[in-house]
Amino acid sequence: MISIKNLKKTYKGIDAVDIDALEIYAGEIIGLAGNNGAGKTTFFRLLLDLIRANSGEILSKGHLITATEEWKSYTAAYIDEGFLIDYLTPEEYFYFVGKLNQLSKADVDDFLQSYQVFLDDAILKKGKYIRDFSKGNQFKIGIIAALLTKPELLILDEPFANLDPTTQLRLVAMIKQLAANHRMCIVVSSHDINHVSEVSSRILLMEKGKIIKDIAGGEAAYDEMVDYFKVKEL
Amino acid sequence: MTLLTFLAHQWHSFRRARNANKSLVLQIVLGIFYFLIFLEIAGLGIFLPLIIKESLPGKDPVVLFCSYIIYYFLVGLLFRFQLQELPSLSIQPYLTQNIKRSSMLRFLNMRSLIHVINILPLFVFIPFSVVEILPLYGTVATLGFLISMFALVVNNHFLNMYIKRKSISSSWWFFSIVIAIAILKAFDYFKILSFETTSSNLFVGLLHNPWLCIIPLAMAVITFRLNNNYLRSHLYIEELVSQRKMKVSTNYAFLDKYGDVGEMIALDLKLIFRNKRPKSLVILSGVILLYGFIFYPRYLQTGNFTMLFLFALFITGLFISNYGQFLFAWQSSHFDGMMSYNINIKQYIKAKFLLFVTVCSLQFLIASFYGFMGWHILPIQLAAFLYSIGVNSFVTIYAATYNYKYLNLSKSASMNFQGIGALQWLQSLLISFGPVGVFYLLNKFVGFWPAILVISSLGIVGLAFNENIINWLVVQFNTRKHRILEGFRER
Repeated sequence: MISIKNLKKTYKGIDAVDIDALEIYAGEIIGLAGNNGAGKTTFFRLLLDLIRANSGEILSKGHLITATEEWKSYTAAYIDEGFLIDYLTPEEYFYFVGKLNQLSKADVDDFLQSYQVFLDDAILKKGKYIRDFSKGNQFKIGIIAALLTKPELLILDEPFANLDPTTQLRLVAMIKQLAANHRMCIVVSSHDINHVSEVSSRILLMEKGKIIKDIAGGEAAYDEMVDYFKVKEL
Repeated sequence: MTLLTFLAHQWHSFRRARNANKSLVLQIVLGIFYFLIFLEIAGLGIFLPLIIKESLPGKDPVVLFCSYIIYYFLVGLLFRFQLQELPSLSIQPYLTQNIKRSSMLRFLNMRSLIHVINILPLFVFIPFSVVEILPLYGTVATLGFLISMFALVVNNHFLNMYIKRKSISSSWWFFSIVIAIAILKAFDYFKILSFETTSSNLFVGLLHNPWLCIIPLAMAVITFRLNNNYLRSHLYIEELVSQRKMKVSTNYAFLDKYGDVGEMIALDLKLIFRNKRPKSLVILSGVILLYGFIFYPRYLQTGNFTMLFLFALFITGLFISNYGQFLFAWQSSHFDGMMSYNINIKQYIKAKFLLFVTVCSLQFLIASFYGFMGWHILPIQLAAFLYSIGVNSFVTIYAATYNYKYLNLSKSASMNFQGIGALQWLQSLLISFGPVGVFYLLNKFVGFWPAILVISSLGIVGLAFNENIINWLVVQFNTRKHRILEGFRER
């Protein structure tokens, strides 16, 4: 689905992202791991055409993402609060995103109903604007809004970092189910090697902008990652 | 913690503010601007007696001055509601430190006094008293007068603070004061109770009996105490901010049938109504509509159509230039999101354009009532309106694609220069004086109706080609999209 060639983004002479070639296929759950400053968020921003790359190209379903806006109709993401329209109530926000993707209010309501457990009575009918919710709940709102559009490509930046333990486990289950049932491609970044190895079918390890490891998920991956990160001990 | 430490912290927060306008040119221009105003006010104070003597000979300048003092303080109170913000020592980080609440309160109060609106009156009162009152009534009376004046200023200051603070929990306080003032004004207008005579009696009496200055002093102390007590009992975080009201989801049904474009217009409307800065800006544009009462009559009499056109341009087009200056910056805090949603950029820009057209049309319709002042106003306003929506709207959108500065929506708009740079000033100049210049030349050398026709046709041409122009704007936007995104990310 996503094809990356010679992608480079440089800030002040240092390569923030430097990927020669990368292919991402539908149905994969990709876990992106790496220490702080490895380039994960920059990479996501490049994938969403929020930053202009210095060189290289990103193709989504064969088309350059910088050339058309078609990829927006099947891509959804949540990176940080900068993605939320903070002066709307969650319901308004969901309806807005739904409307942009030709979903009626009823469709949105149905969807929210099916994710009731995830929302856990903390989000809907609270009479607050999004800016008045706690960070973790804002994250929930962002994730639900991203899923609402039934995307083929979903990008989440550090989703486990801001959620409470219950919701983290729920999210892991949700991600696995979505990829299996809907042939979604999900790209998730995290600092939590437990979650990454549990949820991903494929793990990419980034360091200083380069992808240094590209391994299949599972138990072995967990051990390999622990090895890699331990080496960095003082 | 001493007062000095607090002051030092305030100074640091001012100088180190993330988005403080570091542009030197802007600072210099603002500095000169403020300095000139100071000079004018001080000059007014010094030369007031002369002015009075020359324009109204035979009247005692002191008595006249005194008769206007009540006006001054009432109007001053209304001005303070607008201009004077509650001092925002971000009190949260200090609440848990080993600092006495009383010292924090003392600082808050003292700090709030240092505001230009408290210092300006001194520039008027002191020179006037020294020049006029001193020779006539003696030192004691002058001192008593000055003390009372100063006490009344302080009183006004804390009264304003108190009302504002009480209004946080319930707006009735604010409205009842405004209504009270309106009623008093009505009394004055219908001659039941005259401000002027009461005022002059009071203050001339003060001059004869200087010990009466105790009364204003007492008033000042009372309002200060009221303020202090209120603050002391409300230093809990949740009471400093008004979060009580349940927010409702609103749905603009009439926009529903316009699809995506309607959605985005609804978004802009909600942005305006639910955020401090855009809301006060739009209210300002609304109030400007009333300026026609002030400016139109004068120019109608002299038949100065050019000036009429200038003001018509303001009245019909101010929303476009005010709101449009920061067109994309209003959404700067979530622009990343806006660009990753399934939004067609052309629809996005079209929505902005339609928002302009709608608000402008409303302003134009309301302003048509000015036609009763003089029929010339109608074609002038029509030309201004057509030009605003046909040309200015596009120019503003174009200029907005060059605006890369992040905007904080939670601060009020008055005296808020965040995000304004040389570009904005240049843009304001071009937008207003370009067409006025053209109108002036045409009106002078060809005639009134040709001028109207040319300006109107410029607007109509713009409207006719709006598809093409919008397409071009989309290209412009996409060229700078990444720079805009990057700029908005820097808070």
